Amino acid sequence: MRPDDESYFARIEDRLDEAWEVAETAKRQGHDPKPEIEIPIARDMADRVENILGIDGVAERVRELEGEMSREEAALELVTDFVEGTVGDYDSRAGKIEGAVRTAVALLTEGVVAAPIEGIDRVELLENDDGTEFVNVYYAGPIRSAGGTAQALSVLVADYARSLLGIDEYKPRDVEVERYAEEIALYDTETGLQYTPKDKESKFIAKHIPIMLDGEATSDEEVSGFRDLERVDTNSARGGMCLVAAEGIALKAPKIQRYTRDLDEVDWPWLQDLIDGTIGKDGAGDGADADDVDGAGDAGDGQTAGDGDEGTGGDGTADGDEGTDGDGAAGGTSVGPLRAKPSQKFLRDLIAGRPVFTHPSEAGGFRLRYGRARNHGFATGGVHPATMHLVDDFLAAGTQIKTERPGKAHGVVPVDSIEGPTVRLANGEVRRIDDPEEAKAVRNGVEKVLDLGEYLVNYGEFVENNHPLAPASYVYEWWVKEFEAAGADVQAMRDDPHVDLEHPDVDEAFAWAREYDCPLHPEYTYLWHDVSVAAFEALADAVVDGDVVEGVLAVERTETIRSALESLLVEHAATPDALRIPTWRPLARSLGVDDGLRRTWDAGDLSEAAREWNDGENAVKAVNEVAPFEIRERAPTRIGNRMGRPEKSESRDLSPAVHTLFPINEAGGPQRDVAEAASVMDDQGRRGRLEVEVSERVCPDCDEHTYEASCPDCEAHTEPHYECGGCGTVCEPDEAGRVECPRCEWEVTAAAYREVDLNDAYRSALESVGEREASFEILKGVQGLTSRNKTPEPIEKGVLRAKNGVTSFKDGTVRYDMTDLPVTSVRPEELDVTADHLREIGYETDIDGEPLRHDDQLVELRVQDIVLSDGAAEHMLKTADFVDDLLEQFYGLPRFYEVNERDDLVGELVFGMAPHTSAATVGRVVGFTSAAVGYAHPYFHAAKRRNCDGDEDCVMLLMDGLLNFSKTFLPDQRGGRMDAPLVMSSRLDPSEIDDEAHNMDIVREYPREFYEATLELTDPEELEDRIQLGEDTLGTDEEYHGFDHTHDTTDIAMGPDLSAYKTLGDMMEKMDAQLELARKIRAVDETDVAERVIEYHFLPDIIGNLRAFSRQETRCLDCGEKYRRMPLSGDCRECGGRVNLTVHQGSVNKYVDTAIEVADRFGCRPYTKQRLKVLEESLESIFEDDTNKQSGIADFM
Amino acid sequence: MPLESNARIVKELARRGYNAEREAVTLLATASDSAAALDSAVDGAPDDALRITAEHVRAVTDAEPFEDSDSSDGSSPSQHGGDDPVSSKSDDRSPVETKGSYPDSPNPATVESTADSGTDFRTTHADANTAHANTTHADADAIDHVRDPDRRELTVGNDMTGRSTGTGEYDDFVRTFRDRYERLSKLLRGRVNHRPADAIADMPGGSDAEMIGLVNDVRSTKSGHWLVELEDTTGTFPALVMKDKGLADVVDEILMDECVAVEGTLADDSGILFADSLHFPDIPRTHRTGGADRHVQAALISDVHVGSDEFMQDAWSRFTDWLHTPEAEPVEYILLAGDMVEGVGVYPDQDEELEIVDIYDQYEAFAEHLKEVPGDTEIVMIPGNHDAVRLAEPQPGFNDEIRSIMDVHDAQIVSNPATVSVEGVEVLMYHGVSLDEVIAELPEEKANYDEPHKAMYQLLKKRHVAPQFGGHTRVAPEDRDYLVIENVPDVFHTGHVHKLGWGKYHNVLAVNSGCWQAQTDFQKSVNIDPDAGYAPILDLDTLDMTVRKFA
Repeated sequence: MRPDDESYFARIEDRLDEAWEVAETAKRQGHDPKPEIEIPIARDMADRVENILGIDGVAERVRELEGEMSREEAALELVTDFVEGTVGDYDSRAGKIEGAVRTAVALLTEGVVAAPIEGIDRVELLENDDGTEFVNVYYAGPIRSAGGTAQALSVLVADYARSLLGIDEYKPRDVEVERYAEEIALYDTETGLQYTPKDKESKFIAKHIPIMLDGEATSDEEVSGFRDLERVDTNSARGGMCLVAAEGIALKAPKIQRYTRDLDEVDWPWLQDLIDGTIGKDGAGDGADADDVDGAGDAGDGQTAGDGDEGTGGDGTADGDEGTDGDGAAGGTSVGPLRAKPSQKFLRDLIAGRPVFTHPSEAGGFRLRYGRARNHGFATGGVHPATMHLVDDFLAAGTQIKTERPGKAHGVVPVDSIEGPTVRLANGEVRRIDDPEEAKAVRNGVEKVLDLGEYLVNYGEFVENNHPLAPASYVYEWWVKEFEAAGADVQAMRDDPHVDLEHPDVDEAFAWAREYDCPLHPEYTYLWHDVSVAAFEALADAVVDGDVVEGVLAVERTETIRSALESLLVEHAATPDALRIPTWRPLARSLGVDDGLRRTWDAGDLSEAAREWNDGENAVKAVNEVAPFEIRERAPTRIGNRMGRPEKSESRDLSPAVHTLFPINEAGGPQRDVAEAASVMDDQGRRGRLEVEVSERVCPDCDEHTYEASCPDCEAHTEPHYECGGCGTVCEPDEAGRVECPRCEWEVTAAAYREVDLNDAYRSALESVGEREASFEILKGVQGLTSRNKTPEPIEKGVLRAKNGVTSFKDGTVRYDMTDLPVTSVRPEELDVTADHLREIGYETDIDGEPLRHDDQLVELRVQDIVLSDGAAEHMLKTADFVDDLLEQFYGLPRFYEVNERDDLVGELVFGMAPHTSAATVGRVVGFTSAAVGYAHPYFHAAKRRNCDGDEDCVMLLMDGLLNFSKTFLPDQRGGRMDAPLVMSSRLDPSEIDDEAHNMDIVREYPREFYEATLELTDPEELEDRIQLGEDTLGTDEEYHGFDHTHDTTDIAMGPDLSAYKTLGDMMEKMDAQLELARKIRAVDETDVAERVIEYHFLPDIIGNLRAFSRQETRCLDCGEKYRRMPLSGDCRECGGRVNLTVHQGSVNKYVDTAIEVADRFGCRPYTKQRLKVLEESLESIFEDDTNKQSGIADFM
Repeated sequence: MPLESNARIVKELARRGYNAEREAVTLLATASDSAAALDSAVDGAPDDALRITAEHVRAVTDAEPFEDSDSSDGSSPSQHGGDDPVSSKSDDRSPVETKGSYPDSPNPATVESTADSGTDFRTTHADANTAHANTTHADADAIDHVRDPDRRELTVGNDMTGRSTGTGEYDDFVRTFRDRYERLSKLLRGRVNHRPADAIADMPGGSDAEMIGLVNDVRSTKSGHWLVELEDTTGTFPALVMKDKGLADVVDEILMDECVAVEGTLADDSGILFADSLHFPDIPRTHRTGGADRHVQAALISDVHVGSDEFMQDAWSRFTDWLHTPEAEPVEYILLAGDMVEGVGVYPDQDEELEIVDIYDQYEAFAEHLKEVPGDTEIVMIPGNHDAVRLAEPQPGFNDEIRSIMDVHDAQIVSNPATVSVEGVEVLMYHGVSLDEVIAELPEEKANYDEPHKAMYQLLKKRHVAPQFGGHTRVAPEDRDYLVIENVPDVFHTGHVHKLGWGKYHNVLAVNSGCWQAQTDFQKSVNIDPDAGYAPILDLDTLDMTVRKFA
């Protein structure tokens, strides 16, 4: 590590220590459930694993093993330690296995995700029919976040431990084998699996697996056969088990085999059959197989990005391959250029209101340009900000789009160093727009978006998705490499102020092409591949017949010529009978017409090959035969995409919002108003007396029983009091924190119902922090607590939250959610800070090594630094005020942040925390952006196990987390420990993050060979030696810096601040805008969009609601009691109240008229229209009284 | 174009806009040059004629030499019954002579049911392919049969087409379920002395109690007993069925929302009823069937699926050709239990498997195929889940537009389910969507796809065609529960599962007719092998049934 990096981390850790000290002092006062900070610091992965698991000694052993072997091998090695008892303090054999399995999963997920604690419920020993013992591993839903490899390895680890302990294998009964098959199939239809094993495969696995896979029910849907089995607790699908069997064992068999081979004690010879794929092949027909593949793809789409570990790389591949086989070059007998094969997949499940931007590989759509902008990489796509405005603001920084390639989805980032869109205005003018301001100015006059401009994708993205490279657009970066290779002194020209290499004038471009025998500069290369040979010839004729007036070429205005010029993206203006082309000479030359408008060739000169190239639909060969210079294909690859999710930047509020985790039952009304609850009068005229379920705690000094963490009498810190509800025995928790009554053998909690004088509690809380009721609008509590011991929070904290306008999450922290986007270099001015600010927090030089002096210098971002959105900054300011008030008014300590304006937040620490994980990563605020996203270093996002394809996660202010988080607040249910900071990483180790981020390229330019290789659809791995990726610097001194980029962007917040999707009103308005946009963009087929909206959105909605209607539950309007069927009495059997339907006519009908109208307006197929008509009549038949109609069938009969 | 078969003649006439009398068709078919005869018959028919009658044909054929088809040149597909005054009496010839007399002749294999009560039948392919036509029986059918429209009696009951009054309100649902309870509980009142749920709760512990209710919940307890919660209009009451009471079999058969009666003893705290016995409304064993007072037959078919890639046009034509043979003379009725067409949007991406994508074209094509049936056949049709009506049951019998397309042979199009009284035989027609659920819910031996009639027995036992609410079956609330089997039918006819099976339950003949659609990709993927191309032919006088195979 370089000293510079050392001091960076030291700076962060110093500030962390400072905060820690304050928080510790505060906590020690005993007002909180625990008198210490509950988020331990992990300095490395080993620490995290130990902290998340809570098993002592793991970290040390992991560190020992890490140097010697891979993480997987270490996981297996640790099994021996667990079995021998050198690690972990387990007496029982089941406990040892459990410890080993959990540790293995934690290791393989880098101690970040919640799977090891939430995904594995327990391990137990059960009895085979022959009396021997076997091991049963009980999985739960959150095992999903571990990914397939870790899931599969968990089984292997269990088996290894089993054999070391001399326990027998699991011998399944036949019914159990059948049950596995049925259940996995059921889970797949209900929830969806990435890989769906065929029944035979499932049975094969079930028969041979030496460990019983079990788990808890995750859905209500039950199996129909093989029910009520003795050794299977539930008739519902066990999601965790299904995931492990299908996505783990079945899908990752080759990986497991690698490890079983090395272990003498473990022998899984049957894996080979799974790998060979011979299971189940002889049975089902091939047709069915093909369907299965599709199904698997679908399921993959729905998967959360949380499982972005090794598994996803592989899976993504399978999908990608399907769409882009190298041999998809040219269909049939015609000869044409190599192209990536169009794929429709991203259009599936199109949603109303989220527009399509480009149909698969359609001309006029986004043109693929290779490169990485500084705010780019790691599952993002660069779009020109002018394009964002011209697609009616539907795209903004952070908006997710589903893409055709290379991956499934991208987060959108604004990049203005690529080409903008080309539009036709109402007056017929065709213009390329490279300026977002211009885009906004002309937006209303745009008749057609002829081309969406370029779409920047970095090379690493293709590596990550293992997608063959698609032919590159001919762009400046490539040209300049060719120019240099042709012998030009590029460096000299760059230094020459009179030469603009990137935007030369026409004569210069001609001269360079001629003198160096280099392809024509991209500035003047048109999209010849998008016009036919016929159109090309017609255009040549038109140019010959044209007139040059004052340097502008006027050609006859015909539909052919106009459409050819529009396809070529030649800028021109239109008069009623002429098209006027100002920059016409490159066009004329390309057409083989000289400056005197004389044609230099005749029809016979065109070779047969040129005429037949791609069936005559591609004029690029023809152009090259007549033009005096070589002309490359300008934009051979178009990338289809559509909008996925909108970007996000908003505070995380529970619903209804919560200020204090204090229970007030129903007394607070729907608002959960504490003040209201405190004033409710009971039968005896007492105010605010509530019978609530809260924890029972006892004072160690005076033995006083209370629910408060601090004894009301002597102010000592109280401890939970576990009294068995059955026999009254007072119990003590064991090391694992479980409390079991020794006599009754059941779990005991410290929760009990007791009468609380809320009025008094509320008033004293106000008094203790010196606030009056007027200092806030409303203080919201909760109806009841969900934690095991029902520990309430001091109301004081809620009072101060309410005063400062922040609300609490379920774990007591204040959070703000943002869509993740990457950025590797920033300018102080775009972050709304000054160079001084950055210097203060340790930035000294810009990316070129120059001292940082000016606000517009580009500096490389540190790995743990993050940029807050405006909303987040404001929210953090409020949180800082809350924390300061809390320190001062509640804990009686000095204020910590003392912020006045948001600049004061620069340099302050926050936690980054992603859903499905249990580890927070410490980040440092470096600036602010008006984009509604959280920009940070890609490694920071990867440390949280997020990528940037539309994922979102949250930030918390450091001190808030330290002071207010407590595990005791977490819900006592499956998944309750997910999304909670059980541990924090203070220092980011690039080797210990999600390795997807390592595939990001970090170079300033790509070599010429790269561009040429793309034309051959080369496998991206073949070029890995030529382009440096993040993984190349891992473990070296360079691992924290040197993230170079090929493209700059003026400001990382360009484009609209918010996607139109968020600013438009209801669904109808959004859909109208979506269809309007479909009409406007050349690359979009509006009829197809309308069909898909109807097919994927309206029809499923109508059909689903109609189905729901005719088999619905009912609910009592008064007491909320639900009935599976309408009671015969008509009224509620519980309270006699009014019972009503849960699905009404309105919700069934709501889209019918719109859908029919859209189908008509956009000329949908009769099939679609008829389906709608049949449905409409079904609705009438159900919701209308035949006998009330004007004329009925009765007349007819 | 040679017009080899009656069916083609009918088609040709239909193409020209005529319906035809059966006799006329026979006459045309037996003419030496059928095509020419047809031309002249049409020319000769009065302008206002909608139907070519024997008179019209005779008017033209008499004018030219009428060659008897005794010459075995194969141009004459069949001869008709003795009532034809002009054509020669055919008692000297076997009615099954048609076998092999022309290449695509109907060559039905038959399986005959003697239909003793409680006997089940299943076709096997071995059976069916042996093609042992029961000639003697067929002889008798054909030779003496007189197709006399005046002797026909056909009335339809329980039809709710055009009478759907429900507007999808909560009260409509309540009304439907109350009607179900009232009508079904009546059937049980004779057997038990019903006490309302709220009254039972007030009875002293230990007393005997009997209750009739809709099943509100059934679940097994930890100790292996069953808890059955019954509901009447006053509330619910739980009954505990102990595992050692020998009622396990009965509990297995219970579906939600059906009506049952329980007899038992109240627990000491009157909180629960310990069941001693459990009754279904059921079909009385004493049920006596009706019957026609002449020998006449009805074809019970369903699931034609016109428009599907897999529609078996050839098998269908063989069937309709056969209907024109003397052997089929007594088949004066066709009862079609739904899924006339394949429909649109029934499952995702269905359009890829449709030969006819347009729903109206599908019905047009179906109507064309229906025209191949002898013109004087009485037809009753109900819709199924593939048809263009609401899926929720009861399903009304189509809108005016589709009715007018299918308006051939004056077919009666009624709602699903419907009861049809044919010359004294009560036939309950129901498409059969609930069979899927019955098969899924009940133990294999009580209901399975290979023996669909067993699932039908369950519905008869419950006296309701689709008892379970909230699951697979969709319910449209109406002013009464049209799905209740109030009157005991003589024949229960369903389709939907594409499997052939029949048998008698308490003297009621349950028939699930097969289909006219070959195995689809979906069926292949789930390993369903449909029974396609069968036509069960029911003797309306004896309720004996013969199954003919046309595939």
